[in-house]
Amino acid sequence: MSRLATLNLNAMKAPFLFVLLACTLGAVAQPNLTPGAPQSDRILILGGTAHIGNGEAIENAAIGFVDGFIDYVGTARNVDQKRYDRVVQAQGMHVYPGFIAPNSTLGLMEVAAVRASRDYQEVGTFKPNVRSIIAYNAASDITPTVRTNGVLMGQITPRGGVIGGSSSVVQFDAWNWEDAVVRADDGIHLYWPSTHHKHFEDGRAKLRKRKTYDQQLHEITDFFERARAYSDGQPEQRDLRMEAMRGLFVDGARNAQGATTLFVHANDAKQIAEVIRFKRTEKLDRVVLVGGLDSWMMADPLRENDIAVMLLRTHSVPRFAEDDIDLPYKLPKLLEDEGVEYCLQGEGRMPEMNTRNLPFYAGTAVAYGLEYEQAVRALTLSTAKILGIDETCGSIERGKDATLFISGGDALDMMGNDVRHAWVQGRDVALDNKQIQLYEKYKAKYDAQRALGGR
Amino acid sequence: MDVPVCRCAGSQYLVGPTDSNIMTRIIPVVCALVTLLAGTAHAQSSSTFPVNGTPDARAELHVYEGAIIHVTADEVIADGHLVVRRGRIEAVGAGAYSSAEPVVRHDVSGKEIYPSFVDVYAGWGLKKGERSRWDGKPHYEREDTKAAMGWNSALHPEFDAAQVFVPDAKGAKAHRAAGFGAVVTHRQDGIVRGTAALVALGGEANDVVLEPEVAAWHSFSKGSSNQSYPSSLMGSIALLRQTYCDAEWYGQFEAPEERNLSLEAFNAEEALPHFFDAGSWLDVLRADRIGDEFGVQYAFLGGGDAYRRLDEIQATGGAMIVPVAFPTAIDVSDPYLARLVSLSEMKHWEWAPHNPARVAAAGIPMALTMSGVSKGEEFLANVRKAVTLGLTADQALDALTRIPAEMIGASDRVGQLASGLEANFLVTDGPIFEEGTTLHWNVVQGERFEFEPLERVAIAGQYSLNLDGRDLVLELKDGDKGPSGRWWPAGTAESDIDSLAGKAKVSLDGRDMVLRLIDDQEGAFRLVGNVYEGSRIIDGRGERPDGAWLEWAALRQEASGAAVASDEMNAAKAAGSEVEDGTVGPGPLLYPFSAYGRTQLPDQGSWHFVGATVWTCGPEGKIENGEVIVHKGRIAAVGQTLDPAAVFGKMVPELTRIDAKGKHITPGILDEHTHIAASRGINEGTQASSAEVSIGTVVNSEDVNVYRHLAGGVTAGQILHGSANPIGGQSGIIKFRWGQTPDEMLIEDADPFIKFALGENVKQSNWGDYQTVRFPQTRMGVEQVYYDHFHRARAYGEAWENYAAERKATPRRILRKGGGPKAPRRDLELETLLQILESERFVTCHSYRQDEINMLMHVADSMGFTLNTFTHILEGYKVADKMAEHGAGGSSFSDWWAYKFEVKDAIPYNGALLWENGVVTAFNSDDREMARRLNQEAAKAVKYGGVPEEEALKFVTLNPAKLLHLDDRMGSLEAGKDADLVVWSDHPLSVYAQCEQTFVDGRRLFDLEEDQAMRAAIRTERARLIQMMLDAPGADKRKPLERIPPHYHCDTMTEEN
Repeated sequence: MSRLATLNLNAMKAPFLFVLLACTLGAVAQPNLTPGAPQSDRILILGGTAHIGNGEAIENAAIGFVDGFIDYVGTARNVDQKRYDRVVQAQGMHVYPGFIAPNSTLGLMEVAAVRASRDYQEVGTFKPNVRSIIAYNAASDITPTVRTNGVLMGQITPRGGVIGGSSSVVQFDAWNWEDAVVRADDGIHLYWPSTHHKHFEDGRAKLRKRKTYDQQLHEITDFFERARAYSDGQPEQRDLRMEAMRGLFVDGARNAQGATTLFVHANDAKQIAEVIRFKRTEKLDRVVLVGGLDSWMMADPLRENDIAVMLLRTHSVPRFAEDDIDLPYKLPKLLEDEGVEYCLQGEGRMPEMNTRNLPFYAGTAVAYGLEYEQAVRALTLSTAKILGIDETCGSIERGKDATLFISGGDALDMMGNDVRHAWVQGRDVALDNKQIQLYEKYKAKYDAQRALGGR
Repeated sequence: MDVPVCRCAGSQYLVGPTDSNIMTRIIPVVCALVTLLAGTAHAQSSSTFPVNGTPDARAELHVYEGAIIHVTADEVIADGHLVVRRGRIEAVGAGAYSSAEPVVRHDVSGKEIYPSFVDVYAGWGLKKGERSRWDGKPHYEREDTKAAMGWNSALHPEFDAAQVFVPDAKGAKAHRAAGFGAVVTHRQDGIVRGTAALVALGGEANDVVLEPEVAAWHSFSKGSSNQSYPSSLMGSIALLRQTYCDAEWYGQFEAPEERNLSLEAFNAEEALPHFFDAGSWLDVLRADRIGDEFGVQYAFLGGGDAYRRLDEIQATGGAMIVPVAFPTAIDVSDPYLARLVSLSEMKHWEWAPHNPARVAAAGIPMALTMSGVSKGEEFLANVRKAVTLGLTADQALDALTRIPAEMIGASDRVGQLASGLEANFLVTDGPIFEEGTTLHWNVVQGERFEFEPLERVAIAGQYSLNLDGRDLVLELKDGDKGPSGRWWPAGTAESDIDSLAGKAKVSLDGRDMVLRLIDDQEGAFRLVGNVYEGSRIIDGRGERPDGAWLEWAALRQEASGAAVASDEMNAAKAAGSEVEDGTVGPGPLLYPFSAYGRTQLPDQGSWHFVGATVWTCGPEGKIENGEVIVHKGRIAAVGQTLDPAAVFGKMVPELTRIDAKGKHITPGILDEHTHIAASRGINEGTQASSAEVSIGTVVNSEDVNVYRHLAGGVTAGQILHGSANPIGGQSGIIKFRWGQTPDEMLIEDADPFIKFALGENVKQSNWGDYQTVRFPQTRMGVEQVYYDHFHRARAYGEAWENYAAERKATPRRILRKGGGPKAPRRDLELETLLQILESERFVTCHSYRQDEINMLMHVADSMGFTLNTFTHILEGYKVADKMAEHGAGGSSFSDWWAYKFEVKDAIPYNGALLWENGVVTAFNSDDREMARRLNQEAAKAVKYGGVPEEEALKFVTLNPAKLLHLDDRMGSLEAGKDADLVVWSDHPLSVYAQCEQTFVDGRRLFDLEEDQAMRAAIRTERARLIQMMLDAPGADKRKPLERIPPHYHCDTMTEEN
């Protein structure tokens, strides 16, 4: 296992400028959310370790990007520096592709307890036509706190019902959702029903299902069969829900023109078996399993049926008392060893704010057996492949979007994660957020008090 | 248990427990003698009832002769007689009985007679309390009655079961079929349930109520009460404790200002035996603690799991009522679904039938109850199963007769066969607890209930049957489900019988045998015949398929009949022996009884760790290549290189050397704010203040999260009440001593704490549209709640001081006569709050916004105490200077925000700013998941705000120890402190660090290697049990069900019921 030496960086990372700014204005500074301007300078990152995202790393690397696209990936020794207007020194630091947060509700929720700010779950059971992208708030206060830890893209995902709606992939440095779109309507999200009854151990009521599992399965199958018929035929009447399903029946890989992927949210082994059966009977080319707590038990059929897994948050508790206590920690390693295609995601408690902890979910996976570069890949290129955006994103490779960041230390470790520079499609990302501003504001107050001999 | 033996049955028991009992007992006897009027067919009809027609005196004696009579488990008469007059036993003795009086003789020779059983836990003949529909709204007031009762509808000591008891013929059947003759019935509803009546399982209330008030019942369940309080187990406990206090206070007054009939009834029941409907062993211990506090010894209804903690249960001193409702096997044929069945559940399935034997062997007085079993046969079968597993027949009989009768002080009415007692007895054809023995009769108050006739007509055999001129062979068999048969033409070759035989349906109605011979061509012949005892001939008439009548006769062939019978005997024997051989005893008893439990607690080792980077979190800082010596649960020394001789002097103990080269050692992590390891609710948020409740009373030592925490290096924590109300409940401060009991987990002599809360939760902002009436609903109101309660607490303290002074001033002779001042009412809530004012209890306050933090510090300053800790404290950074000045600590989340409106200004730099300003700063979890990696959370203090590493580590070690006043014992590695420490694979703040070993009190309670072995053991044990379950009878009936463990956070409002 190649672990990176952790760096202890006690230096204040927020530039003095902010303090100055706050003092000059004499008021609470609003979060500086100004998205970066389109790349004009040709930029070269020089030195440091480049984690490509495909499982490789380059020591003493050089990465050049122009007009928002990467045009050079190699070693510092071989690069022609004169081709670039600006050189960003990264000696002793680490360069990563922007981490991608799939299956996220960022931008659909501002304050969990405030109903008015919750936009991630529409009413209804089958609603593939409900689209997350148009509700994505590019100016959320949370997003800037996520970028500062290296998470620069996400798949914004609607929840609830059986079919929750249609997700879209966005980047996190945008004026509005139109600017943010990386891939609109990339997938339909199906929340697989539970196959068995449950009840609460502490004596609360049983969770009684209104419908039997067979009934629910029938409804799902029925809906898909109708959708396929609609897609194959020439409908006289326009049906918004059926229209939204069309992309699922387009043949080809995840990045095929007009294709959408079916993301099935399921954790239990029996559910997973059902999902595999469903993919076969419905002849769906593209199915991704989201959650996949038990996916390690179903590795062979998942791999054989070409189903990738967006693995649940590694920072979870095991489901059963008798489970290995580190089971969620080592799930990525188990899937890696089995050759199942997977990436990491962060659904769970307070998913929006916790998006910034996504790198550490990968760090824990490294502590429990995953190779370091495999862990980076599970946050970048694997995710991009699963989202069908790997032609343009997900790794530091020539021709791809210049969406990447420099961390002072190991970005998968709390003590090393220290994002110094970040670019999205070549645009310089402002590494400021409301929280840094509040910190500086109060730090200045206390520093001043102390300087005056007060407390 | 050594059961006290009473050879001269009767004499001891004629002395009743109370005077009133004697009175009630004498009256019916007198009535019976004076008048011979009896209006009904029942044995003891009341004389006061007018009679329509000619009275039936029923004065004759009924003598049951020739049986083995089990007077008690210890006294058996080989060939005895039992004499019954008017439903009572007149005499029991050996040999024949002669009398000049009219005698009806019942020949029961060769049979056995036992006393009918007594069930002390029943609800027979009583209507259940009805809970009104849940409407989502709070119900702060009592709604079921406006009478002069107590304030809470979960308390009804005034409920007198005998007053409303109506025998329910249908409900009695199962109990009688199980062998019960009498039950103690009470309404199983509420926390204080009122009195129970001893009733015989007969027909008319006036006959069967033997003793109207024999016991008082209690529980932790609020039952049908729809009042909001209590909503948690700890609330139920507090309510019951307060009721004892109230009753004591109320009892001082001749003419109380407030007339409270509930408390009067409560006090009136004091002399009765007290029972507690507890359940699991944890609840038994919890109930016993209440009993100990108020000088009451309960007998406990258990949950069938007493075998897990026999020593602790025995130490309660209480008798146990043990159910025999053994769980049936679960369908584990689907390996995926089988995962839903926990190891604990599987093990319990195996262990449960052993429970009665284990309880008895531990010397705990035990009564068995039918509770949980619906069929009589099943009850007997389960008791017999317990007997095959080590319960002796005498113990079983005692547990069903003598002991339950003694528990309610009614040994002179039921529970043995002696003169003067109710004529409740069983007639069997063999030892009652032996497989295959038939229960023929259950005689209740002289009335016979027959399940099987004494002599069953034996019809099994081969008959030659002449039917309508055809010679046939008819074969009849006796089976469990009644007789069955088949027929074939006489002379059929042996080998063809199976293929040619036609079906014969047989039913026996008394002596009439109804036969239906099915002929494939013609149809069914329907025959009715007479069976004569001792005769080989059955004959009668019948109807042909075409409607014509016919006559028929069948003659039994002797030899083959005997062969069939002996075949069956052999088959039964084989089955029996198979059962016995298959019993290899249950799997290992684990502590806790679940996955990752151990068969025994690891010893306190003597350890010498060498070569590690030691993060002392104390004055010695970080020691590279350092050593730690642990002995007798304490840290003996910490340093660069340690010489055991220098540490211990001459008496150097044997030290186990642990090479920790390349490893890191830190103090055990403390979690200032957790909600794991608590049973049934962490919020009693139904009132603005619930200072009377305590998490310490509901610690759940069996929560697997305890082990998982150890695996994350967490060794101690404060289980906090939730944040549903401004004044929450008292904390449970525990070490994660996995494998020990709740009481053992609680940290000895820890300072007591209480949870307060501010903001959105206490003003019910996010609780939906119904929760809008409880004061306070704004931050403005929250302040007033505190002032109000603290002023009242101060007044309460003064009242007690005045009382003490007045009492001191009162002459002794007046005090001796019971004069002098009346004691104020002990109020558990105000008593707790007074402790805060007197700085004997310390506050941890859930808080977010700077305004309310400031407010509470003002309240505390003006009331003269210091707030110990603000927990969560996400805007603490805005008032860090004020907190430092007040002296409050901060226990925060590293980086949480955006979950509530009040945390929109929360920043991950909070910890750093608090620390920089001199506030004792900790990071806590409030979350069973995050708690497993608090070291990573501490690392975030380095990331956000640049706190030095060693100081950041203190955020989860020394600083929480300080906040919990445990820093003299925990939180740093210093000689003399508790040996709570963790060995890490890497830098403890690194995301790559794995916790390899965790020690608590010098015991290694987590070890990576041992953990691997435990996983293997879990797999093996599960596999063994699954194989057993697959073969168990009825295993296809019960489907696995996923149990979702509770996951408590501050704002979890879980209803207990």
